[in-house]
Amino acid sequence: MKKLQRTVNEKYMVSPFLAFFLIHSIQFGIGILNFQGKIIERVGNDAWIAVIFGGILIHIIIWLIFKILIIGNGDLITIHYDVFGKWIGGFFSLVWILYFWAIGIIVLRTYVEVIQVWMFQDISVIFFTITFLLLVYYIVSGGFRIVTGISFLGVVIPAYLLLTLIYPLNQTEFRNILPIWDHSTTEILLASKDMTLSFLGFSTLLMFYPYLKHANKSKLWVHGANFITMFIYLGIMIISLAYFSQKHLLRYHSPTLTMWKSVELPFVERFEYVGISSWALIILPNICLAFWAASRGMRQLFRFSQRKALIGMLLFTIFPVYIIKEREHIEVLNDYISHFGFYLITCYLPILLVVTYFRKGRRKKH
Amino acid sequence: MNFLKWLSSKGNKLTKQEKDPELDQTIDSLLDQMKASKDFIHFVHNKGSNNMYCFYFKSLVDSEIIHRDILPYVSDEITSLEEIKANVPIEKIEITTDIKKIQNQLLTGSFLIKMSERSEEVVLITAELKQSREVSIPEVEFSVVGPKESFVESIDTNINLIRKRLPIPELRLDEFQVGKLSKTKVAIFSIEGITNKENLNTVIQRIQDLEIDTINDSSYIAQLISDNRNSPFPQIIDTERPDRLASVLAEGKVGIIVDGAPHALIAPTTLVEFFSAFEDYFLNWITASFFRLIRLFSVMFSIMVTPLYVAVLTYHYELIPKDLLGILVTSRREIPLPPILEAIFLELAIELLREAGARLPTKVGQTIGIVGGIVIGTASVEAGLTSNVLLIMVALAALASFTTPVYKMSNTIRLIRFPFLFMAHLWGLLGVAICFCFILGHLLRLTSLGRPFLEPLYPPRIQDLKDAFIRLPLSFQSKRPVELQTEDTMRFNSKKAKEKKEIDE
Repeated sequence: MKKLQRTVNEKYMVSPFLAFFLIHSIQFGIGILNFQGKIIERVGNDAWIAVIFGGILIHIIIWLIFKILIIGNGDLITIHYDVFGKWIGGFFSLVWILYFWAIGIIVLRTYVEVIQVWMFQDISVIFFTITFLLLVYYIVSGGFRIVTGISFLGVVIPAYLLLTLIYPLNQTEFRNILPIWDHSTTEILLASKDMTLSFLGFSTLLMFYPYLKHANKSKLWVHGANFITMFIYLGIMIISLAYFSQKHLLRYHSPTLTMWKSVELPFVERFEYVGISSWALIILPNICLAFWAASRGMRQLFRFSQRKALIGMLLFTIFPVYIIKEREHIEVLNDYISHFGFYLITCYLPILLVVTYFRKGRRKKH
Repeated sequence: MNFLKWLSSKGNKLTKQEKDPELDQTIDSLLDQMKASKDFIHFVHNKGSNNMYCFYFKSLVDSEIIHRDILPYVSDEITSLEEIKANVPIEKIEITTDIKKIQNQLLTGSFLIKMSERSEEVVLITAELKQSREVSIPEVEFSVVGPKESFVESIDTNINLIRKRLPIPELRLDEFQVGKLSKTKVAIFSIEGITNKENLNTVIQRIQDLEIDTINDSSYIAQLISDNRNSPFPQIIDTERPDRLASVLAEGKVGIIVDGAPHALIAPTTLVEFFSAFEDYFLNWITASFFRLIRLFSVMFSIMVTPLYVAVLTYHYELIPKDLLGILVTSRREIPLPPILEAIFLELAIELLREAGARLPTKVGQTIGIVGGIVIGTASVEAGLTSNVLLIMVALAALASFTTPVYKMSNTIRLIRFPFLFMAHLWGLLGVAICFCFILGHLLRLTSLGRPFLEPLYPPRIQDLKDAFIRLPLSFQSKRPVELQTEDTMRFNSKKAKEKKEIDE
């Protein structure tokens, strides 16, 4: 049996600015392919306002997470242990671990779904999943530095895809966005809530915080990452509003992918194939970080080797990915997990902050 | 991995417990053992009253030294070994009774004198025969401009080549002996006050821990001290250029020279370094950077082009614009094979030509390359086995793989396109992407002497990018790479180097 690990050997830490890539890479995943639909359904041409509001809400939550981590001085599991004790704390930890794990599963399944719809209808789901999970194992077993590395490369290498947003610009009609604030504030706020679902995943920060060198300096980078994510979402939202008419937008399942169809290069037509393939590198850090957080949580909670926890989790991932077949099921599951995540960060985290403050923060001052 | 470990452990059990045979030997039994060899000379030198017993290997000892510098000075007045030591005009003379030392010295070219048949004490006079190839032009890392000398097989000549370029007392040389049978001399270069101690100690530690019988080349050492021995990527650079070794020593790296090997090793290193030719530093920085980018592009091209061809033609016809598709269709119309077989056939043909060219003598090899390339290529297109578009691509890819300046890396590049090919056949572009992710993961995990292999890409160090994909002017290179964690990070005063002249002053 191992001990609860409170400090991380400096050898395994990463520079604070890499927190930017960690956060950005996990926020920017499968959601971007089809986040427009639901929001536009609610607020139509004001959808872009909801994106901004959603981003601001996430900034507030990041601030909150940093407060918890600085007062609690550790990762989520040690804070739970210190604040709620072994059993209750352990229960909450388990909930979070399952949540991280679920993120990993659902992101992978959704990606496979995109591949099925857009590239290979009859790809062997199980074979692809196993290959992908092997890849995840290879990276996560290399340790947090390697996971950070793939997050970094997963942001830098596919960054060229942003250039493809230029192509739809030729066929845009920006007057679609007018009139501004055409919907009631409640509607816009509700849409903002929906929007935050696309930003989820950054709560893994709760797990990897101890791995950041001079963690205090990383604050700015984390907020910066969220800002950039919001900015890109905003850009894509505005371009899609201008590119499609609203009726169109509701009809397409993945507007972002549809926009790729307008990309024309002298040697490549149907750019979406290239795009979806490149997306593998964007999805990979997402899944790796989720599995890393989950297995790290297991190691801290049950105190056995992280490698074994990881292997176990990966094996148990094959099953759900395989049995969820229908597109509707995937969407429902996505919905459940995102809402669950949403309430975890908006309701549970403030409570945790208050309790942590009273149990740990005050004691420190005396 | 486990299987490999099992194999090697099984092998170990079978070997007998080795005994050190030198321990229970006397000097007489040692000499008797050596007398069995034809080239071991022993005679009694009697001038005057004293008999002196002399022993040496005629194949290891310079006979001129014996006749000119030893025997004339060993005259009849001499009564003790000390007097020999005082008289003979050679500086490396030793009086000893240590059997191990006697054996080593005799086998590396010493002349042994005993005063009486029974005496245990002997004098050893170094009279080594030095035979080595002349320093010649570098052939593997040829450069049009710049120095034209390369390492040879003799360690002393090689050390001399380095010392000449770095005449400073801080240049440190640690020497070790590796190999139970070959007793190969391995020298480790470092510069005190610059080289990171941890790097140096890691190299020393790993070399001291080596368990092997013979070392025939520096590449043995390179394989044995690499961080990950199961990786196709080389993690230690080998070079035959003394100028390159001297310059990386000044950067703070560790150099390893092995006796009998015309290639020195450099560690720690990074991936991008494998794509920088030393000639880059001889050219103007703009030209040099351009060629580096060309090389980088050609590597990507070389790995990716056939897999992409297979992926697109197997699964994603729609990807190709109409005009281009026409060409492809015409060229593939009569080919009965699926793209993957077509590609593998051609790739293997090129590998075959390359391998044949490498094994045959130079003159014949060139002919084989040209004849094979042209004849087989044209014939296979005419026979309808392969499309000429693919032929062009494969030939270009082969050409591109040769732009890599380090030979071992170009081999790796040729190898890793095959997994890409299979994945492309399996899942098209997606397979290529997945394979790329695997390679990225592997590269991220690799280290060289414990330092990250992908640096300065990851961990991102902007400062080190000055000499990575592009090479900035020499005045920008005032700091040693962060990667090496050197003790003295400044190479020279950058302010002075960058100082601009005032107009008309």
